[in-house]
Amino acid sequence: MPTLTPLSAIPVPSPQPEQTYTRELLGRRFSFVGLKRLLGAADYSKAGDRSAGLSAHSEVEREAARSILSELTLAHLYEHPLTDDKGHVDAVMRVNYDIEQESFRALSGLTLGALKDHLLQAEGVEISRVGQALTGVMAAALTRLCDPHELIFLSQKIHRPTQARTLLGAPGTLSSRLQPNHPTDDLRGLTLLLYAGLSIGSGDALLGVNPAVDTVENVAAIVNLLDRVRRTLGVPTQICCLGHIKTQLACLAQGVPIEILFQSVAGTESTLVGEFDVTIELLDEAYRTMAARGPLHEQARQFLYFETGQGSEFTYGKHNGIDMSTTEALCYGLCRRYDPFMVNNVTGFIGPETHLDSFEMIVSNLQDHFMGKLLGLPMGMAPCYTLHSRITQEGQQLATELLTAAGANYYMDVCHGSDRMLAYFDTSGHDVQTLREIHGKRPGAEYLQWAIARGIFQEESGRIVRGRAWGDIGQFVSQSELATLLAATPGMHGFATAGPRPSESVSRSSRLHQAIAREAIYTELEVQSLQAALPFRIIHTAAGSKEAHLQSPDLGARLTQRSADILLTETHRVQIAVSDGLSAAAVHHNIPELVPVLLDGLQGLGLSVGQPILAPYGRVKLAESLLDRLDAELLVYLIGERPGGDAQASCSLSAYLVYRLRDPAVQEAAARFAHSPNIRFEYSVLSNIHQGGLPPLEAGAVLLEKIRDILRHQAAGNRLTALLHTH
Amino acid sequence: MRSRLVTLIGLDFGSTTCSAVVAEARLTEHCATGRRELEQAVTRYRSTLVMTPFVGQTEDVLDLEAVDQLIEGWLRAAEVKPDELFGGGALITGLAAGTANATQLTALLRKRLQDAVIATASDPCLESFVAFMGSCAKASGKEPQTPFLNLDIGGGTTNLALGMNGEVLRTGCLQIGARHLRFAPGTLRLTGASPLGRRQLQYLGIAKELGETLRLAEIECLLDYYVTLLHSACTGQRGELQTALGQQFEQVELRIPEGLPPPKLAFSGGVGALIHARLAGDTQPPSTCYGDLGPHLAERIVRSPLLHGEIVQSEHAGRATVYGLLEHATVISGSTLFVSRPELLPLRDLPILGSISSQSSPIALHDALLLLRRSPGGGALRVRLFTAGLHELRTLGVRLQESIRALHFPPTHPIVLLLAENLGKVLGAYVTGFSALNINLLVLDEISVRSARFVQLGRLQDQVIPVSFYGLLP
Repeated sequence: MPTLTPLSAIPVPSPQPEQTYTRELLGRRFSFVGLKRLLGAADYSKAGDRSAGLSAHSEVEREAARSILSELTLAHLYEHPLTDDKGHVDAVMRVNYDIEQESFRALSGLTLGALKDHLLQAEGVEISRVGQALTGVMAAALTRLCDPHELIFLSQKIHRPTQARTLLGAPGTLSSRLQPNHPTDDLRGLTLLLYAGLSIGSGDALLGVNPAVDTVENVAAIVNLLDRVRRTLGVPTQICCLGHIKTQLACLAQGVPIEILFQSVAGTESTLVGEFDVTIELLDEAYRTMAARGPLHEQARQFLYFETGQGSEFTYGKHNGIDMSTTEALCYGLCRRYDPFMVNNVTGFIGPETHLDSFEMIVSNLQDHFMGKLLGLPMGMAPCYTLHSRITQEGQQLATELLTAAGANYYMDVCHGSDRMLAYFDTSGHDVQTLREIHGKRPGAEYLQWAIARGIFQEESGRIVRGRAWGDIGQFVSQSELATLLAATPGMHGFATAGPRPSESVSRSSRLHQAIAREAIYTELEVQSLQAALPFRIIHTAAGSKEAHLQSPDLGARLTQRSADILLTETHRVQIAVSDGLSAAAVHHNIPELVPVLLDGLQGLGLSVGQPILAPYGRVKLAESLLDRLDAELLVYLIGERPGGDAQASCSLSAYLVYRLRDPAVQEAAARFAHSPNIRFEYSVLSNIHQGGLPPLEAGAVLLEKIRDILRHQAAGNRLTALLHTH
Repeated sequence: MRSRLVTLIGLDFGSTTCSAVVAEARLTEHCATGRRELEQAVTRYRSTLVMTPFVGQTEDVLDLEAVDQLIEGWLRAAEVKPDELFGGGALITGLAAGTANATQLTALLRKRLQDAVIATASDPCLESFVAFMGSCAKASGKEPQTPFLNLDIGGGTTNLALGMNGEVLRTGCLQIGARHLRFAPGTLRLTGASPLGRRQLQYLGIAKELGETLRLAEIECLLDYYVTLLHSACTGQRGELQTALGQQFEQVELRIPEGLPPPKLAFSGGVGALIHARLAGDTQPPSTCYGDLGPHLAERIVRSPLLHGEIVQSEHAGRATVYGLLEHATVISGSTLFVSRPELLPLRDLPILGSISSQSSPIALHDALLLLRRSPGGGALRVRLFTAGLHELRTLGVRLQESIRALHFPPTHPIVLLLAENLGKVLGAYVTGFSALNINLLVLDEISVRSARFVQLGRLQDQVIPVSFYGLLP
């Protein structure tokens, strides 16, 4: 087990005053104030960086930044640590300076351009050695100088195998993490998706579930299921439930087989601590615990699993003025400290606010993969997308072809590519097998032996090909049991295959569902017909168009000045507002029945309610502006949910009951409960409102009960739940 | 994962044997609809089959003390506390249901098992229903286009249930069983006869008294008669069932819908188990070894034209009733139901007094509620919706509210509305004027309302109520 360098023992130069970097090109002068600006301008233009004001305004400006960067020495980058918003070096940056000092000293005089030339001529071993002398910022800076060919060419030279129960990332292999996520963690659904993945040769990297509910009981139940399936079938792989690290450690303390410990990480300390509730100290403790007491500690060399992806720091508004790919590189510098078994990159997951289209997603994936490998990480990739971005399945598949050429260790296997719990689109087991066959790759050795014994694969003239049992889920489950498991699993389109791909009928079905869901996002709100049905007043958000609404969530959270001026203080305790959010179809299908029940009920309960508001292009946070403007106690905010891969669920509506903490004593209680002294609002949520889930009429009655509870107890969200529990 | 384990129980006191099964099932939430369901029932305890205890040799009075001890032993062995039970049922069936103190046994079972479990005697259609569910519901579900007919043949009755796609369509009951005539074990010496058994002997001209030995030809004659009646019931060719004696054997007519293809047959109950064993080529028990005609009847049925149809293996055969009770006597309401007075649950023996809809006239609604108002313990009404839209819900709710106000319902008088759609809470809201009306209203939704005379409601648990129907109609 490598020793973890105490943070205080990691030398970091003191922050310097910001330097202005200037370059004249063909009579034009380009200036960049500070290294953060220079790094941002030198990168490809991406939505998140554009919104943060960090991207270059033109290709020429970008090339100017790159040419400056190319001439900076590693020593210069070393001497200028990037700081947080208060001008301090945060803990994540500090960890990034835990490098091979001797190697660094030998390289420190090289410019980034010279370093790139050196690496392009070097063998993989040398590239890996150099990587250990680099901080995340250096890796990010170097990446800006590389075009896609170079990113792929350099990456494919680096091999980073890791060993837990099985070996992952050996040359010539392409593995997959089987990700059988289920919206309610139904063990039958999880089982079905595990069987489906195993039948097509997936899961050699990991059987790993993202839980819908992050409790010790639930995570333990999921891990125990994974353990049972793995043992029963004798699959040589490892298991993991991707709950919070604290939940998993609690499970481990109870004897639950936490073979691989997972955590999402971020590239700034404020995001890591404030949003992910993780500190370096906690990660250190977790690492030591797994090394001493993890179920695989006697055989594994690595046992941690990190997930990252460009843009989380930006989305949380905690990026410290640093661009997305640099914060991503800082994540890798943090991951490197713990010599992880797996690092999974999910760039594309967040949405168009970080990556607008396929190009941005693809290029970011190539960068991330290279930076991770360079810094010594076993990179698995999950080029992915949500339907409200312009990233398409075609773009995703192009990304996987390039990343496989670049030597990615593994991908996800999400059945049919549509994650049933997280409502996003990832790679599938069919994709993995297709890539194996195109690029001459095979699964990990131990798993392969198991799969050959079952007939899932077979060896033919030294080649590994699909066997008779490939794609046959019947090898794990009887027909009658299959029917039971299918009934518990949404979004299934069949198991038929054609070659390594799903059969045509399966593909058409899944793509049709995806198309319907995407259409729901781009459908405009039918304001006039809604107004004809209900007495709505219309207000406008700062998002002036569907495109702006989808790409910049903050616009939909703000009122235009004109609308703000119209909305004056009213005397009503309750207000109702409706927005399309990410599905206008959800509004069209549900509102005409739901809102009348609410109005009838509020009147029946003797609660005064304002004229309902219709706010096209609204986001959830708009609720707070509305409550403040109208001086109401409670807002019922009905908003379309983000569609996943199921056509019916694309009409799904959420209801946010937003309670405004007006009373100082109530605010104090809420602040105490949430450990958040400045809290102003509490939220209760009711989701899955549509005819196939909770019907809108019934949802109206359910909401009325919740409204009554919130007003009676002057609390919403978890605090209300706790109060109801004690009554 | 939003789920928890609940405990279910099934108890069957039949003409010959009695037994208990206890299982744990997972109360889960459906991934898309949010509906709660019982899944993955796993047997935790299964008693041995023991002879139903009677006082003396005549088998017309149950030995309640012995029964009480049996129940006590079963609950102890299964480590079950009655107040932890979520659902299930206890049935007194066959000749045991006709004993002089069957009602007292029902009372004893209710006391022992408390409120979560239905306990009833002489409910032939419920017996037929649960036997089908415990015997061949799964097999039927796998062949949704094929009718399945289950014959649960026990000591006193043959319970018939015709179903498709795992659901029972029709039920019937014949008083045909192994134990209407009893014999000294291993002989054909008659030691006892039910009133119907005596009439059968007389009708067939077999002039034998207790203590006398029947000839094999006489036994064959008795069995032929049984098989004739069974054949008539199963084919709908009424023939012998319309004779004076035949009518006495037919407790509930099985009305077979027209146009159905020939059903596949399954046999359950004690005699059913012997039939399957015989078909499987297993070693047969000696004749009258149980002191009745069970082995003879099984053998005769195997030789009969009944077996010309395709036979399917019964899932629980001799224990179909008890497993059917365990898993299918209780259903779960929707999770957004309307309950104005949860503290007044559970509710037993609520009569189902009729059906209403938004198209019912105000007078019809008033009459239905008047009937319910006059029922001392309250009652239930089925609600039929046509569009399930806002206008229909509002209209029906307001009309019901008006009638309820006009009839001055006491605040604790149970009014139960049962509907199939997931609209319980909103209908309840409109009926009560959003809780302005102080009544004891329960609107249970997502309930597939069975044709039954009574319904029993358990306590509110995890936002759902266990619901059991009994007094089933054919």
